[in-house]
Amino acid sequence: MNKSGLVIRLAMFIIFTALIVGFITTQLFTRFTFLNEQALSKQSINQLYQTVLPTASIASYLGDKELAIEVVNGLISNDIITSAAIATDILMVESDTYEKSAMTYEFILFSPFQNKRRVGTLFIEANEDSIRRRADKISSTNTFVVIIEALIITIMSILVTYYVVTRPILSIGKALHSISPGTSDRIDKPLSHEESEIGQLADDVNALLDKAEQQIIKEKNLRGEVQVLEARFRMLFENATSAIVLVDLDGDILLYNETFESLIEKLKLPLKKNYGRYLQNLFILKKEFNEQINIACNNNESATAELELISDRQEKIWVQVIVTCLMTDDFQRNYQITLHDISKRKKQIALLDRKANYDGLTHLLNRQAAEQNLQNLIITSEPFALIMLDLNGFKPINDIFGHDAGDDLLIHVSAQLLKSLRKSDILSRWGGDEFVIILPTTTRTEVINVCEKMMTNLIKPLYLPTHDKNVFVTASMGVSFYPDDQVELLELIRLADKAMYQVKKDKANDNDVYLAFTGDVEN
Amino acid sequence: MDKFKKTIILLTLTVCIFSVKAQEPLAIVVNKNNPVEQLSRSELIDLFMGKYVAFPNNVKATPVELNGDHTIKIDFYRKLVGMPLSRVNAYWSRLRFTGRKRVTVFKSNENDLIAFIVANKQAIGYVPQSLITEDLKVVYILNE
Repeated sequence: MNKSGLVIRLAMFIIFTALIVGFITTQLFTRFTFLNEQALSKQSINQLYQTVLPTASIASYLGDKELAIEVVNGLISNDIITSAAIATDILMVESDTYEKSAMTYEFILFSPFQNKRRVGTLFIEANEDSIRRRADKISSTNTFVVIIEALIITIMSILVTYYVVTRPILSIGKALHSISPGTSDRIDKPLSHEESEIGQLADDVNALLDKAEQQIIKEKNLRGEVQVLEARFRMLFENATSAIVLVDLDGDILLYNETFESLIEKLKLPLKKNYGRYLQNLFILKKEFNEQINIACNNNESATAELELISDRQEKIWVQVIVTCLMTDDFQRNYQITLHDISKRKKQIALLDRKANYDGLTHLLNRQAAEQNLQNLIITSEPFALIMLDLNGFKPINDIFGHDAGDDLLIHVSAQLLKSLRKSDILSRWGGDEFVIILPTTTRTEVINVCEKMMTNLIKPLYLPTHDKNVFVTASMGVSFYPDDQVELLELIRLADKAMYQVKKDKANDNDVYLAFTGDVEN
Repeated sequence: MDKFKKTIILLTLTVCIFSVKAQEPLAIVVNKNNPVEQLSRSELIDLFMGKYVAFPNNVKATPVELNGDHTIKIDFYRKLVGMPLSRVNAYWSRLRFTGRKRVTVFKSNENDLIAFIVANKQAIGYVPQSLITEDLKVVYILNE
């Protein structure tokens, strides 16, 4: 049992109180009983005095010893009297043990005939022991009764406390222990406590449990909703095809998704906590992007750029980087950075670009691309030489050995020409068996050298395995200079073309001629 | 009517006579040769109730009184100790067993009583005032 439990505490209190009250009561009662007994004995002694008075007063009056002895003996034959004495002027009669004490009562004796004439004194000593014994006897009975009463009250109080107060409270407590908040479990009201304070307590507890249950259900629902939402967000975030990263102002990564992780993996980089501000260490940063981000942040916009990621891989990875400034609840600036892989698109664009600008067969620039190049040079006013080259003897080979052979020959020719040019020179297939070569910032001598070199390489024969035959072609070349000959592109081309045809015309007379300059051709 | 008046007068007279007799003071007397001249009431009581058997001068005293329920005797005790005779008799009865001897002499009438006092020097007794003679010495007058 609990030492500081209600029952024990109350029991201790009641026992203590009962002891004190019992002690005080007993003491008081003993005293009272004694006094009462004393009074009673005094009364008895008075009565005895009244009884012996006539005789005693006669004895005193007459000084009659015999009569006085008779009176004294009569008195001491009573239990309540220890000793007695009669004293007169001439006589003193006393019992054996007579001694004047506090318990001695004194009665003045008057003459039987003259009620004012004092004739002697009667002394009666009350039996104090007898009084005390009787008082003690009564008191001990009373003490016993008080003890029994105290015992009964204590036991009853403990029982009542236990059954009426402690046990119901304990049962509530026990019930509470086994109840988990949020369930529909409730506390039963203790029996016969429907209207009592304990019943009220149970009601209050149940009300509290009701409230707790409602709240918990509400929270559970809310949590469920949040979980669903969170799962959706997570799904959205984790399954996003774009890498999404949240970084703080210093570039420390706060959050990233799987796509980002695999992107880093693809770059063969270690997964770090910081890749510089806006992950700038990851890509070949363009200076203006920083500025763009700053402007975007100030205007609550996103900064977008297509950037190439730093990678030692063969295949370049291009990403569209979108940096969005976010303000957290505590006014910290964060950046949400989305890296959208656009390598494929870049590749496709490159492919389209290739298709549009290159000749499918020879992989040289096509006529359109060549024209574009020329335009660009003219726009920047860069001087150059334009060589128009037309193959001689290609058509018969194409006719005799077929188109495939023709194609092979064109590829062969392209390779030979390319071999003869410098890096800065541009070679393009103008159409059919026509080629245009652009030599930026050059001289006539250089042009002659290049053309000679081209001619030398060009006449190297091509072996056709299907026909077991070596074939070769020659070429006629017309050259015009920008801006010396002409500043207008079409005219420039026409001049080169014309020079080339002049070469073809001259070939009839001299087979070795292959090159003509516009300035040398008569208009 | 006359008869009624007579009766009332008679009654009144009777009462008057009775009261005269009762109101007559009693004289306590001794022999004229007794040296005692006067006694106090207490001395009288002590002598007649048996406390002392001598006069204050230590001369032996012999109380003398009437026998039985004599009117004078009744009157005497009533006047002396305020008690009816029966109680006085009871007092003496109580003392009879203690061995105390009563020295009182009893006479059947006033004349004998007076004669005894005259004859005895130590005698003391009571007589109505009207019966006092030369031979008696009054030591106390017992009034109401």
